[in-house]
Amino acid sequence: MTSLRWIGVIAWKDLRAEFRSGGRIAAMISFSVLACFLFSFSLGSLVAGRDVAAGLLWLTVLFASISGAGRTFDAEEEDGAFRHLLLSPVSRHAIFLGKAAANLVPVTLVAAFTLFALTLFFRIAAPGSVALHAAILLPGTIGLAAAGTLFGLISRHSSLGDSLLPALTLPALVPLVFFGATASSRVFLDRPWAEISGPARLLWGIAIGLVAVGALLFRYLTDD
Amino acid sequence: MRIGHGNGGRLAYLGFGLAAAGVATILLVHWLVAFWVPTEAAQGVVQRIFYIHVPAAWASFLAATVAGLASAAYLWLEDERGDMAAVAAAEAALVFGAIVLLTGPLWGRIAWGAYWDWGELRLTLTLLLWFSYLGYFLIRGSVADPRKGKRFAAVVAIIGVLSIPLNHVSVVWFRSLHPEPVVFNPEGPSLPGEMLATLLTSLAGFMMLFLGLFTIRYVIENHSRRRHRPTQPDSSGALT
Amino acid sequence: MTLSARDLVCSYGPTRAVDGVDLDVAGDSILAVFGPNGAGKTTLLKALSGERRPDSGRVFADGRAVKGSDPEWRSRVGLVSHRTGLYTKLTVTENLLFFAALHGVTRAAPAVEEALATVGARELGRTRAEALSRGQRQRVALARALLHDPAVLFLDEPFSGLDPSGAAALETMLRARRSPERIVVLVTHDLRRGLRLADRVVVLRRGRKVLDDDRAEWKAETLLGLFTDPGNRA
Repeated sequence: MTSLRWIGVIAWKDLRAEFRSGGRIAAMISFSVLACFLFSFSLGSLVAGRDVAAGLLWLTVLFASISGAGRTFDAEEEDGAFRHLLLSPVSRHAIFLGKAAANLVPVTLVAAFTLFALTLFFRIAAPGSVALHAAILLPGTIGLAAAGTLFGLISRHSSLGDSLLPALTLPALVPLVFFGATASSRVFLDRPWAEISGPARLLWGIAIGLVAVGALLFRYLTDD
Repeated sequence: MRIGHGNGGRLAYLGFGLAAAGVATILLVHWLVAFWVPTEAAQGVVQRIFYIHVPAAWASFLAATVAGLASAAYLWLEDERGDMAAVAAAEAALVFGAIVLLTGPLWGRIAWGAYWDWGELRLTLTLLLWFSYLGYFLIRGSVADPRKGKRFAAVVAIIGVLSIPLNHVSVVWFRSLHPEPVVFNPEGPSLPGEMLATLLTSLAGFMMLFLGLFTIRYVIENHSRRRHRPTQPDSSGALT
Repeated sequence: MTLSARDLVCSYGPTRAVDGVDLDVAGDSILAVFGPNGAGKTTLLKALSGERRPDSGRVFADGRAVKGSDPEWRSRVGLVSHRTGLYTKLTVTENLLFFAALHGVTRAAPAVEEALATVGARELGRTRAEALSRGQRQRVALARALLHDPAVLFLDEPFSGLDPSGAAALETMLRARRSPERIVVLVTHDLRRGLRLADRVVVLRRGRKVLDDDRAEWKAETLLGLFTDPGNRA
């Protein structure tokens, strides 16, 4: 019970600071919308939007969330607040889950904007059911938020900084993107749920796995 | 340099012995592959690379698993030996992974007509596993506090090893270009006897080579750390 | 309340930052740890607070071994460091309410008010931390350390950035909080201020304790003499 309250308190604190500075969310969303614009500009006349939209959707969300991941701990480190957070009685997994939950908001916003921008720029008349898209994207964004929180902390301490993030995150995230793009493309093509449920279940499995692994291992990253 | 003494010395000789036996066995396998084993009907001569590709893949998975388990042990027990074993195994995973990633495309070029097929998930995930072990060494080397570097690397190794089951599941889930598992499939081995014998010999050779390299590397790591035992800081040290 | 350490060793790679330190602090005391740069003062503080697990040796509070991962222990510890540790986008009150919630402080809002009043920063409540001066931030950091009434208060260069009135307020506050149930561990290179407060002085050099004394008559100049290695003189 206390854990849940802690998660809520930490996530709320992060979101409040996030929306006040606004910089990171705005940068992630403008990156994704610009990417979609460039995709449609370079590919729009060559391919049918519905065929490539799923791949572009997931790649854009992936890259936007990796670029945002490095910033996850900026507010914590800016003035050394993280040391005080770690010294409080809050359990490490509650800190991880709180920060991952706060991270979920920008990643979800990016996913929504990207989906919207792709259907707009590629002029996809029937992009499939929004509810199904959400059901596929949700586990994906959960996984991305969890991985971004975990690896964002690792890259912060490395002298290679954010340039290390792709090398660290991609091996863990490519399966997520692979199954996500497979499922989403079937949604774009209006295939029945029976064809979508398989990869969707796998996505949930990966997402839950990433959250669990992050919550479990976070203390080894934070303890001195 | 003398290779250790006492226990370390015995371990080093064991390592050299295993590695030498492994190399000898793999040389024998090359002879078997060239002159003894029958040509597979469907794929022709190129299938013979299978006897190197598959055992190397198993050795790299074994190495990655050892690295992951040793990393978990290091985090859990705070025992330096776990970290030393993880380093030794992660390097082996990189070496054997490189063999898999080189022989795979060579085989694929003839069998599928392309060096690389991105829809071929198992090869792709092997590449990703290889990259996560590259990340393992990148993160170790780039963190100022060595203790933090070891912990971070251990987390990377654990996540890397968790992608292995995903790797296997993906082959079953997606009908891929990749051959079905021929040894561990439910109906028992589906290979003709000579092919199976060659494969198993090669497997034994690669396992011995892995264990040998792993042991030698572990002894070296242990030796070099003992030489850099923590000593008194000099007065110019800027640590507070 | 007692806090003790037995044969603490902390290393960064090949360097031993803290090298076999023993320490016993009883309640009602203010321990000042001095030493030249790189003597291992902050590392010793982190080992005592449980932030850094020592490579060997142990820390005991009231005779029981301290584990940094133990929430019970962390709820009894407070910290003020040279980095003020505030979330710059949040207001002072939001910052304090956040940490009060983490510590499970009941009736958090009045507690925050009171803590701000104690450090003389009541009017800052609605200001964002990024708009504060360094000294104001340090006062807020001090208020945070008081919120959950820690039994052991660790101060890591707390005077840096404080204006004279802030430093005086800190000294008054530390003296006022003294009780047998509380301990203050102060790490600083400000010898004069440290000596004025401390009733127990420890000097570290190269990770080792070269002085541990509870007589208060030490002069700053005498202590400075201990900072240099006798082997390096001549």
